[in-house]
Amino acid sequence: MLKVGLRGVFARKLRAFLTALAVFLGVALMTGTYVLTDTFTNSFGQIFQESNKGTDVAVVPREVVDSQQGADPPAMPEALLKKVRGVDGVAEAVGGIFSAGVSLIDDDGDRIGSTQAPAFGASAQPGRFEAFDYPEGRPPAASDEVAIDKLSADNEGLDVGDQITVSGSEAARKYRIVGIAKLGEVDSFGGATVAILPLREAQRLADKEGELDQISIAADEGVDPTELKRRVAEVMPRSVEVRTGEENAQQQTDDIEDDLGFLKVALLIFAWIALFVGAFTIFNTFSITVAQRTREFGMLRTLGASRRQVLTSVMIEALVIGAIGAGLGILAGIGVASGLNSLFKAAGIDLPNTGSVVKTRALVVPLLIGITITLLAAIIPAVRATRVSPVEALSDQAIAPTRRRRRFVTGFAVLLSLGGIVAICIGLFGGIDSSSDAAALLGLGAVLMFFGTALLSPRFVAPLASVVGLALERVRKLTGRLARENAVRNPGRTATTAAALMIGLALVTFVAVFAAGIKSSIDDAIDKSFAADLTLQHDDGFSPIPEAAAREVKAIDGVGPVSSLRFGEGEVKETGDTSFITAIDPKHAREVFKFEWDQGSDAVVDQMTPRDAIVDQAWATDNDVDVGDTLSVTTPTDKHVVFTVRGALEDTADLWGDFVLTHQALEDDFHVRQDGMILVDYASGADPTAVRKSVETTMDRDFPVIDVLDQGELKDRIGEQVNQLVNLLYALLSLAVIVSLFGIVNTLTLSIYERTRELGLLRAIGMSRRQVRRIVRYEAVITALLGALLGSALGIFFAVIVSRPLADEGFNLSFPVGTLILLFILAAIAGVVAAILPARRAARLDVLDALAYE
Amino acid sequence: MVARVRKLTWNAMPDASPGIVSARNVHRRYGEGDAAVDALRGVSVDFTAGRFTAIMGPSGSGKSTLMNVLAGLDRPTEGTVALDGVEITGLDDGKLTQLRRDKLGFVFQFFNLLPVLTAEENIVLPLSIAGRDPDKAWVDQLITTIGLDDRRTHRPSQLSGGQQQRVAIARALASRPAVIFADEPTGNLDSKASDDILVLLRRAVDEFGQTVVMVTHDAHAASYADQLVVLVDGQVVEDREAPDADEILDVMKRVA
Repeated sequence: MLKVGLRGVFARKLRAFLTALAVFLGVALMTGTYVLTDTFTNSFGQIFQESNKGTDVAVVPREVVDSQQGADPPAMPEALLKKVRGVDGVAEAVGGIFSAGVSLIDDDGDRIGSTQAPAFGASAQPGRFEAFDYPEGRPPAASDEVAIDKLSADNEGLDVGDQITVSGSEAARKYRIVGIAKLGEVDSFGGATVAILPLREAQRLADKEGELDQISIAADEGVDPTELKRRVAEVMPRSVEVRTGEENAQQQTDDIEDDLGFLKVALLIFAWIALFVGAFTIFNTFSITVAQRTREFGMLRTLGASRRQVLTSVMIEALVIGAIGAGLGILAGIGVASGLNSLFKAAGIDLPNTGSVVKTRALVVPLLIGITITLLAAIIPAVRATRVSPVEALSDQAIAPTRRRRRFVTGFAVLLSLGGIVAICIGLFGGIDSSSDAAALLGLGAVLMFFGTALLSPRFVAPLASVVGLALERVRKLTGRLARENAVRNPGRTATTAAALMIGLALVTFVAVFAAGIKSSIDDAIDKSFAADLTLQHDDGFSPIPEAAAREVKAIDGVGPVSSLRFGEGEVKETGDTSFITAIDPKHAREVFKFEWDQGSDAVVDQMTPRDAIVDQAWATDNDVDVGDTLSVTTPTDKHVVFTVRGALEDTADLWGDFVLTHQALEDDFHVRQDGMILVDYASGADPTAVRKSVETTMDRDFPVIDVLDQGELKDRIGEQVNQLVNLLYALLSLAVIVSLFGIVNTLTLSIYERTRELGLLRAIGMSRRQVRRIVRYEAVITALLGALLGSALGIFFAVIVSRPLADEGFNLSFPVGTLILLFILAAIAGVVAAILPARRAARLDVLDALAYE
Repeated sequence: MVARVRKLTWNAMPDASPGIVSARNVHRRYGEGDAAVDALRGVSVDFTAGRFTAIMGPSGSGKSTLMNVLAGLDRPTEGTVALDGVEITGLDDGKLTQLRRDKLGFVFQFFNLLPVLTAEENIVLPLSIAGRDPDKAWVDQLITTIGLDDRRTHRPSQLSGGQQQRVAIARALASRPAVIFADEPTGNLDSKASDDILVLLRRAVDEFGQTVVMVTHDAHAASYADQLVVLVDGQVVEDREAPDADEILDVMKRVA
């Protein structure tokens, strides 16, 4: 039986290869994900090892609040340094700064580096603590000197001796480059730019005068770092953590690994999607080939092979194909890793890549998963093969599935679909606490619905194919007609092939509709809440901007009301979660923002004190918070503050976060002194164009990282960011789509093989090669459009369901009709492309051989 | 006797006007060297228009190969073939395809029809391929001639073997071709159905003025023909007029 199974594979090499490809892409993506994230973790690990190499003990701020935004904990007072120096066993202790928000600016006034990567300001450390290597020049010493990272220097063509603008919490200034720095092997810290400055200057630019991000300690000869750590910890306050150098490096690596963990999960989801589609394709291919080999199986049974032996032979074929596909996949996976890296770079995420790290786990797991999926997908067709009776070896007829089985399948399909909808609803409305659990339920629901729709889809084949086929028939009467009839001939087969494409397109449609909804909702919210002419924000859209900027803008001629928003986070005892907090200046906020009240009125803002809070009505409802209640908040500086709720806002764009406090509260209790966003109105009677020009000039000069946008531009900017993310998702989903296209190629090739005699007849009675190619091409287009129809219907359905609970938060459902139409056109083109090889094969059939074929 | 005279006369007058189907010195070799098979070894035939010709021969005689070559489905290794005045041996695949579409009709032993089309649609298939609208009256006449008025919308799976073959003949006639080639058209049928087919082919010649060339191994079928050509080992051994069944059996006994 082994031989029969193996021969089965090699007899149809092309078919086997195409089937193997179904698993190949999913496995490659999975391997690539593991390799990429392992490489990143390793690279970061190296970086952190390097940067901690001179440090025996490190003192860092303790992270009190689990930040969702990835913000750093507040800095430590410099006074701690004196205490540390007093500890017995400390040879040397220095304080350092390493903060985001210090940017390098090029000659055009643009920020150097990608918009997604942070910009760091670091202080130069003396001798042994120096983390950076200087291939050129030296560390900065004077207050007008700076050293920059090698990547930025290379990208911008900067050298030692050049002038460069550095911008931070003070007005931008020019500095002289005295050194080019590397961190160990890497040119840059994950694509982030670094400006290395003397300590005082670094503190100034990071708005941390009198504060430190880290204290690095070197131990005396013979003093054990762990022992020293204990001694230092004894004299340190609760607000800091003391670690050995190694522990610090490890902790930093672990933190990055957690952050990367999210990336890994996201990529693996796409890998699983590709594998899921691959499973559909394999199931389909095996179903077709089993049906075609009825005679062969019948003959085997006639000769005395048992059912189990037939099953084994098919499963062996599946095993070999799975092994080939998965094997090639893990080899390609390493290439995929670098492809993914480029993809992320293009989306602005540039992570360090110091040579691929390929762990055994990265190879073995995807290989096993790929093979297992292939085997699972082949089980049902294999079982069908065992049902072939010996008599069928002798007959010419194909077995038609019994009526009874069809009804059972339909019932089962409806059950699955309903089950899927239920799972999705529970995930969305069931009040599940853990968001990952809820997401898992949504995923499960989606999978069930895919299966259900796929099982029901044969019923749609005839009517849908007619609709599509009708259009084709208009263009080419006979070939369109024959293509349509061929597609409808075996609805199960056409449907399963289309279903594979449906999955990818459903997800693409979902993303498209959802993204359109997000953009539309944000646009609406901006219209509703923003009453200002200009918005000033960091060019990356979320980083804080120095408060000096607002002061400068207020002083400009022709500028009217100015008010800013500040952002912070805190842990709320009543909910147990970290909340996102917005802060306003009650005196001026109403001049530039329009508040929509669910409870309360504008008077609430006017009378707001630093101990008052205004809640987002949706968040309040979810957490059972009412006007008059108190919120006990733990701030990042480990302060515990109680706020009283005075009003509730309709927060349609999630602009206000979970609740709103005053600037004063955020400054005093949360240590937030920088603005998130500044809104500016023109003074009445002022010339808008002139005022805007003044504002822009001032900002370009002193705070080049700040963008000046009017409402239209703000909407566009946000739209761009959504687009960037969406395009990344499309690129990842395209793998699943490509797999399903292989499925179409496979199905077509197999059905041409089946119709050899017919094709021979057509050619004999005078059909040209071109016409034959057309029939095949149109069949592919019909199948692809079928997949597009089902996929977009499902995708829209998902988007509608998922948007229900979000409607409360102001999410508008918006249908990007243009994108959806484009999707259909692309599906048709995909069908044409998929048909190229099979069509050529069909046209090349030798007429006489085909006629004689049995 | 007559046959022998015919052969002599034709060879003696090489530029005598050829019939609607003519082959001159056709060779067809498959493979190379030691493994080469010569299916046709210098065959020359000439079929007049408006007549029913049967090509017979034992297994391996090359009769099917001859038909394929005459119909433009296969190319000879040597020699020329002309159909309705056009020499087809030099034509490329595209032209040959067009020729088959417009000028020839085919009836095969089985699998003649497209299972996804109705009887009527199968009948006008060559016209559909050419993109031409069928002449409704002509199609109706054909359907009546083959006696399947009440089955014109049926698919092949709903027709018996004999009925399918009748549809095939109607299709062959639909484009009013120069020649109809039939390859063992009764091979799969019982004697009653066979007779129906043969009668139809005869009517095609007598009533519609068609030229029919039929390959068969069945003496009874061949007896319907006006002319009999017998092949053995790739060469013509007999070429006689209006044979009856007994004569045919004699001939076959001799050559077997």
